[in-house]
Amino acid sequence: MIFLKKTKKYWLIGIAVILAWLFLRSNAFMYHEPVGEVIKVEVQSTQQTTDEHGNTDKIYQQYLTIKLLNRNRVINLTNQYTTSQTVTHQYREGDQLLLAGHPGRLRIISVKRDATIGALGVLFFGLLLVYGKWRATSWLTLSLVVNIVLFGFALLLDVQFKNPNVILIFSILAFFVATTSLLLVLGKTLQMVVTLLATLLSTILTMLIMFFVLKITGNEGVHFETMSYVTQVPITLFIAQTIIGVLGAVMDEAADIVAALFGLRRENADRHFKDYWLAGMNVGRDIMGTLINVLFMIFIAETMPMVFLMLRNGNNWPYILDQIMNLGILQTVVSGIGIVLAVPVTSALVGWIVERYKVVNT
Amino acid sequence: MNAIGLLIIILLILMVLVGGAQGIKAFVGLVLNFMAIFILMILINWQFNTYIVTALMSVVILALAIYLGAENPFVTNTAFKTSLIVVAILMLLSIIVQHLGQFQGFATENSEELEGLSLQVGLPFTKIAVVVMVISILGAVAEAAMAIVADLNEVIERTPNLSHKSLYAHAHIIGGQILGTAINTLFFGVLGANLPLLIWFIRLRYSLSMFFNAKLLMMEIVTMILGMLGILLSIWVASRLVAHEYTKIQKINMKKES
Repeated sequence: MIFLKKTKKYWLIGIAVILAWLFLRSNAFMYHEPVGEVIKVEVQSTQQTTDEHGNTDKIYQQYLTIKLLNRNRVINLTNQYTTSQTVTHQYREGDQLLLAGHPGRLRIISVKRDATIGALGVLFFGLLLVYGKWRATSWLTLSLVVNIVLFGFALLLDVQFKNPNVILIFSILAFFVATTSLLLVLGKTLQMVVTLLATLLSTILTMLIMFFVLKITGNEGVHFETMSYVTQVPITLFIAQTIIGVLGAVMDEAADIVAALFGLRRENADRHFKDYWLAGMNVGRDIMGTLINVLFMIFIAETMPMVFLMLRNGNNWPYILDQIMNLGILQTVVSGIGIVLAVPVTSALVGWIVERYKVVNT
Repeated sequence: MNAIGLLIIILLILMVLVGGAQGIKAFVGLVLNFMAIFILMILINWQFNTYIVTALMSVVILALAIYLGAENPFVTNTAFKTSLIVVAILMLLSIIVQHLGQFQGFATENSEELEGLSLQVGLPFTKIAVVVMVISILGAVAEAAMAIVADLNEVIERTPNLSHKSLYAHAHIIGGQILGTAINTLFFGVLGANLPLLIWFIRLRYSLSMFFNAKLLMMEIVTMILGMLGILLSIWVASRLVAHEYTKIQKINMKKES
């Protein structure tokens, strides 16, 4: 009993996750398009293949019986998949699918994934609540929600135009996002103003360095044409996404450094520029390496599936680095420069402002 | 001159100017990490067991990130232990999530890039999806673990006779701050990387249901949530480990005195 009582919170999270999962598994009535559940799978035939690069794979033909959950019908479909499942899917009993097409000729457009995402999201927020208590968690959640809304607004604004000024739209977005997140986390304080200034200044400096280098080298070795999912001019889109990435990383770091330096100020306000500068550089030095690592890992993991496919298609590493990882490397390096630059910029800014403020106050 | 090469040189110079010897070490750490991931991809491409290779290389990458990042042996050892526990938990969770959500491979949005490529390549893309999830959280987990252990260590060093309870209170305050900023970084990192895909979805008027089910977008959201979970778990595990070690040291000290 004591064990149950002590672990009560975790049992509650478990129950919430399961409930979210069950609800999202049975929400077919909320969908316009037909939603089906695979109730029977039969493998009809298999076939061994070898492609021109000597890769062997197996092609399966499966016969699916699908119960439509919001149409009250049962349909039969055939589906082909390979063992590697690069673009094809092996469907199993119990999988829920989104379908499209005429009632007589439905085809599968996607696996229904909302239950998986929903359950994972509930797990995260449950643990966040247990750890962070209601107050802290709600501020953090609020800032995430506000950021998503602002971001959505910027995206909608962007698609209103045929040739939008992406850089302008997302620079303004970046400014608003930084201001609201810091306001929500730090409140209306001097600390918040200093962090915001440091963030914006470092981001602008970083972007200027990038523009300068791209200009003097004439974009040599940079392949903007390799960008994926392009619906508008790639170069400006790339700049916009770099601004957002740099801003996030720099804001995190600047917040850490400013927090540490304001801690010093609280202990003893009678300090000079040099004290803050040295302390800030010390804090920043410790975190810059690991921060660059965070962004680096995100980028490199994302390119992995394509890298494997290219390798298997007989491409060599230099070509893959040049074509697949090119823009990712560029963005990571630029973010890295931002993270390093933010250390001296923030330290100097805090030293300068705080010293001035002390004089005004006394 | 190559623009990326020039930017890398600028990054190296800045790291040396700002960080001195530690800056050089951090730069070397990044290069070594890049090589470790290279080896990981080569081994998977040679069709070694995907999960075993990923687990082993994750340990190497975490060790590089942590031991090259700080000096203090108490900080590095505790952070390393924390990251191993957290990454192990998250790897299991990734396997479950991938099994349920089927995030493997490419989608119709990739058609243009896939043109002319053979797609029957004999690699298990279902397992590669798990690799993507695990690798993308490594950095965030290592960062969060290092940050909290280093901060707690400073608290312990500054205040002698710290009680168990107030150590936990400190852990809570520091943990909350780290959580807030780290989650923001991750959020912007992922958003920044997916701007073109999001614009694609809106411009081509995808139905609302695709925003909650489409493979490419959901894969990104899953990695983001897993990363956030990783940060949360590292803060949690690290606080417990630090408190545990601290009481052990205290007991030894008390025995010495009596």
